[in-house]
Amino acid sequence: MRVVIAEDSVLLREGLVRLLADAGIETVATVGDGPGLPGIVEEHAPDLAIVDVRMPPSFTDEGLRAALAVRERRPGTPILVLSQYVEERYATDLIGGGAEGVGYLLKERVSDVEEFIDAVRRIAAGGTVIDPEVIGQLLGRRRTGDPLEALTPREREVLGLMAQGRSNGAIAADLVVTEGAVEKHISNIFMKLGLQPAQGGHRRVMAVLAYLGLH
Amino acid sequence: MGELSKDTGAAGGGAVQWAAARWATATRADDGQTSVMNRSWHPLAMAKSSLTWRSALYLGVSLAWGLGWFVVLAVGLSLSVALLIIWVGLPLLALLMVAWRFGAVLERRFVLAAFGVRIPSPYRRMPEGRNPLSRLRGMAGDPATWKDLVYFAALLPITLGEFFVSAMVWAGTGTLLFLPVIVAVAGGAEVNFGVSYWAGNPVEALPVSLLGLACLVPAMYVTRAMAMGHAAFAALMLGPSPSQRENAALRERTEHLRASRARGVDAAEFERRRIERDLHDGAQQRLLAVAMDIGRARAKLDEDPEGARELIEQAHAGTREAISELRDLARGIYPAILTDRGLDPALSGLAGRAPVPVEVAVDLDERPPAAVESIAYFIVAESLANIAKYARATRASVRVAREDRWVVVEVIDNGVGGAVARPDGGLAGLADRAATIDGMLIVDSPPGGPTIIRADLPCTW
Repeated sequence: MRVVIAEDSVLLREGLVRLLADAGIETVATVGDGPGLPGIVEEHAPDLAIVDVRMPPSFTDEGLRAALAVRERRPGTPILVLSQYVEERYATDLIGGGAEGVGYLLKERVSDVEEFIDAVRRIAAGGTVIDPEVIGQLLGRRRTGDPLEALTPREREVLGLMAQGRSNGAIAADLVVTEGAVEKHISNIFMKLGLQPAQGGHRRVMAVLAYLGLH
Repeated sequence: MGELSKDTGAAGGGAVQWAAARWATATRADDGQTSVMNRSWHPLAMAKSSLTWRSALYLGVSLAWGLGWFVVLAVGLSLSVALLIIWVGLPLLALLMVAWRFGAVLERRFVLAAFGVRIPSPYRRMPEGRNPLSRLRGMAGDPATWKDLVYFAALLPITLGEFFVSAMVWAGTGTLLFLPVIVAVAGGAEVNFGVSYWAGNPVEALPVSLLGLACLVPAMYVTRAMAMGHAAFAALMLGPSPSQRENAALRERTEHLRASRARGVDAAEFERRRIERDLHDGAQQRLLAVAMDIGRARAKLDEDPEGARELIEQAHAGTREAISELRDLARGIYPAILTDRGLDPALSGLAGRAPVPVEVAVDLDERPPAAVESIAYFIVAESLANIAKYARATRASVRVAREDRWVVVEVIDNGVGGAVARPDGGLAGLADRAATIDGMLIVDSPPGGPTIIRADLPCTW
């Protein structure tokens, strides 16, 4: 797998390169600012771009805007956005152009090496990985007449894990229930939220996030 | 650092209003008072208003006051000037000056009582200390003292004129009005206005009474006009001049700004100490523990690899906790999303993290200045934290809207109420922050709820 990295902190950039190399993932190019990202993506056509949100020159949401620019110029390029803070608004901006091959994680998740590498692989394969904190925020946010209120606490929990991109098996293991039970919860959630049951892993995340964040 | 306290006792209960003084409201204080200058000219309204009768009384009796001052000043001044040669005149003059200043203070009260016109004190601040000589010098150096003297010097001719006009108008009106009584007592009276009219008994005098009633209207107008003239003259001579007024307003404004600057500096200092404490007690200690764990792991690496692995696990968990603590701390100092995207996304993020459902409505055409955004954000953050800790609420709402030249932030919950802004508490700290930009924070939280926290922040900061 070939990866490009946009990250202004040399320490974290080199750390990421080494961490990925340990897992057999090749870093083909790195860049230290936001505007440079689309260029290196054009040039190297990587399987994944890892982008920091805060970067020069403005140190605000440069990386996010660069990521959106990449998605616009080369739709479908898998992107993993790393951020010191997770904010629901950034997540919804990012997913606005489609949730396939999109990740949004807190920087500190990198320290859980195995989970991080797993997330990288899932995103590169077209999956969606959203930080549990964002999911928590999205689930915590309620509007008047919100159909989410119809969900039981357990269903809410399952929805949260689904939104993180977990498979039914992983959810079952997490909640110490059978896979059959998880499937039943999921079909209940789709029913209550008026969503068509969909096949495949990332589609249902798309549906869930689209429902939570963008409607 | 929520400092809302529960107030269950009967004595201290009730809505707490904590308002940082705002310039606009402070200057509005003595408007809206009725005086002879702004009362209605409608005859019925005039007859009903006590101001008319108070003015008439003052204009009728003030001649004695004017005459008294004329005598005191004429005698006193000529005597003291004559005695200046043997130095006795000087203390006499000083005594006289104190007397007329005191008289002027009294006269301002009279003018307020009679005409409803409030004349602000024009005097300069007295020199500090109790030295009577320096106080006298201060009085003599104050132009307002000499304007008082001019006022009293002019009082006799003015009150004389007012007395004659009043006497004429009111005696005539009164005689006509009460003619039946006069007739009943005296047995008969003749009224002469071109044509003479003889009233032999009270019933015959009744039509003349009606005429008196009609005369009442011009009498009131005349009184009103004189009252306005007198009040205007008194305000001119006894009140501060325009430049003095301006100075007083500027002084007050300076005082207000000084106070709000002090509160702002204190708030910043408090915040800095809090950050230092949080860093010291939190992240620093955690990282120290991590360093110790790693150190021990290194020492154990050879003889006890399993123990070393455990310590490294521990250190790993410790660093993650430290990172998350630092992240929360940084967000507490200033949330990045506020700079990037403004209030709406930042507040919905806050609402999403709150343990109770929070509805957020932000209605701003354009982004207010950064200071205003940041203060608005922290007011909402602190309020939501307090709601989570103390209010036992099941829902809350946040509204941010522009009203006129103000950004209004309102946080309402359906909790138990009884929130109090204590000094050094979170709410008082927010009021201090608001005060630094001339804003205002109001906490309305009766026991039993609901609690409303409202901040008015100027958006032209």
